[in-house]
Amino acid sequence: MSIVIQLRDISKKIRDETILKNINLSISKGEFISIIGPSGSGKSSLLYILGLLDIPSSGEVYVEGEKIEFTESSKIAHFRNLKFGFVFQFHYLIAEFSLLENVMVPMVKAGISREDAKEKAALLLQKLGLGGKEKRKPFQISGGEQQRVAIARALANDPILIIADEPTGNLDSKNTAIVMDIFCKLHMEGKTVIMVTHEIELTERTERIVKMLDGKIMEDLELSKKKC
Amino acid sequence: MNHIFFVTLKLLFERKRQTLVAIIGVSIGVGAFIAMASLMNGFQKYFIEQALDLNAHVTLKIKDEPDKERILRKVYGDNVSFSIFGAKPKELKDKIIDYKFLIKKFEKDPNIVGIAPHLTGQGIVRYGTVDKSATLVGIDPTLERRASVIDKFISNKKLDVLISDRDSIIIGKLLARDLGIDEMGKKVIITTPNGITHLFKVVDFFDSGITMLDQTRIYMNLKTLQTIFNKPNEVNEIIFRVKNVYQANEIAEKIKNETGYYTESWQKAFRNFLQLFKIQNYITYMIVFAILIVSAFGIFNIIMMTVLEKKRDIAILKALGYENKDIIRIFVFHGVTIGFLGALLGCLLGYGIQEFLASVNVSVEGLVRTKGFALDRDPLYFIYGVLFAFVFSTFAAFYPSYKASKLNPIDIFRSSA
Ligand SMILES: Nc1ncnc2c1ncn2[C@@H]1O[C@H](COP(=O)(O)OP(=O)(O)OP(=O)(O)O)[C@@H](O)[C@H]1O
Ligand SMILES: [Mg+2]
Repeated sequence: MSIVIQLRDISKKIRDETILKNINLSISKGEFISIIGPSGSGKSSLLYILGLLDIPSSGEVYVEGEKIEFTESSKIAHFRNLKFGFVFQFHYLIAEFSLLENVMVPMVKAGISREDAKEKAALLLQKLGLGGKEKRKPFQISGGEQQRVAIARALANDPILIIADEPTGNLDSKNTAIVMDIFCKLHMEGKTVIMVTHEIELTERTERIVKMLDGKIMEDLELSKKKC
Repeated sequence: MNHIFFVTLKLLFERKRQTLVAIIGVSIGVGAFIAMASLMNGFQKYFIEQALDLNAHVTLKIKDEPDKERILRKVYGDNVSFSIFGAKPKELKDKIIDYKFLIKKFEKDPNIVGIAPHLTGQGIVRYGTVDKSATLVGIDPTLERRASVIDKFISNKKLDVLISDRDSIIIGKLLARDLGIDEMGKKVIITTPNGITHLFKVVDFFDSGITMLDQTRIYMNLKTLQTIFNKPNEVNEIIFRVKNVYQANEIAEKIKNETGYYTESWQKAFRNFLQLFKIQNYITYMIVFAILIVSAFGIFNIIMMTVLEKKRDIAILKALGYENKDIIRIFVFHGVTIGFLGALLGCLLGYGIQEFLASVNVSVEGLVRTKGFALDRDPLYFIYGVLFAFVFSTFAAFYPSYKASKLNPIDIFRSSA
């Protein structure tokens, strides 16, 4: 299995507080991982470093075997654009843009022509059950739909890793199930997904559970492969 | 750059009201600049044109500058305005008797278009019971035509009557009004300082638009004036019309060196006004600058507000791979687009104000007399206006854009989770 991303001995300090302590984590292609832990244990902080949104105080990050130099901000932005797809608890859709245009945003940055981006974005929305609503604005759809648009946007440039921070945190059980089904489907298609969650039952659908406490990885459980 | 256009234009278009307010702010600045520049420069150019048409580009005359003034000018140069009070008059040598020779000599100069002799002097003109002092100018109409555009200012084009009827005069329109003369053919009596009185017939009016001249000037045949002043074959001024008015200074200098007479270019003759115009221009441009600064602050405000309102969007754009320079470009482009559209609208507005001013029919009577405003509708003002708006909006947008680019997305994600 090829390794998509690897953290080696990562620590993160903010002022005097160490919020991540000597983290070692390897994520292989096609894995479906969940991260759990109490509030303030450092789950989000870990995702920010995985997604190259934050710079560790020490340690190294390797993306597809390549060591990341954190001074190369342009290259890092390029990686975020092409290799990672982010989903947060809040959808962060741009209010003035239609659903279609929101999904196009990462594509046009990647240099895809507007026509191609439109076509691709429409397909993604279709795939996530939002066909026919492309022209709507984010406020014209439900919370569950908003989160699905955010997932479509995360998939825009066909990333190697989908990073989701409590993607179902704001959703009811019905929409939570829909989002989980989507992640499952992506996993079945061979995508790599890492997801933070507070809900233990959601971790049961994943293959690997990383438990965090006080900025440390307490447990890294590989579960047997299964159809999620 | 495709992604910059994509995001910026979308934001601009979807935030119509804000965008429009900012555009209108800029357009008022640009429109005001165009209107004020064309009004101010129009007035100045009109004044200079009229003055140039009338007052000769170069004048050769008896040096009547008092000694004190000459000394002061030597110390402070020609660009200083001052006046001296209480200087004692002295006996001046006020004769140019070789004028026919001088005219012959400079007629061949390719830079000189026309030369005409003048004999000028003061006199009192009387019509009925009204007395007015006047400046009497004796001219040779044929030569005068070549050296000035006198015909243009003579109401009924009767300049040639001065040749056929030696006792005819052309009188300044305002002087005529002051005297109570409202039609031609009236007889007036002119008394010279040496006590001679002479009866003249008013054959035409002289209407230059320059109040100072129209209120004092009387034209008559040179020979007549020479006779009544008892100065046969004598003049005290020769005027030159040159090909390029901006070479007047050099040509004046050349004539002075070759003849030994005192010469004065129009720039020197009008230095007080030119100085005044300079100050006027400073004030105008300061006001316009202030307007532009205000509209720049408008742009600054709008961009700053947009940046603050769009923190979340900026954060997600960065998470999605937009670089700091992309963020800067998005918001600078935002400002520049506002500046550009504002400038275009401002040009329309400026044009509209020009049209309006051109159609207004006011009679201005001050330094100059015009019907309506004299406008200088140089396209250059439009180009400047657009350029200013461009530069100002870029600068105004830069700081908020830079701020936006420095935003750390994590801070946003943490605070809005
Ligand atoms: N800017 C900051 N300054 C100081 N401490 C911070 C800052 N940001 C985060 N922390 C601390 O870092 C620790 C980890 O925060 P993090 O957001 O990663 O936790 P989490 O596991 O995601 O929690 P939650 O489940 O509530 O989202 C917390 O103790 C938090 O107080
Ligand atoms: Mg968190």
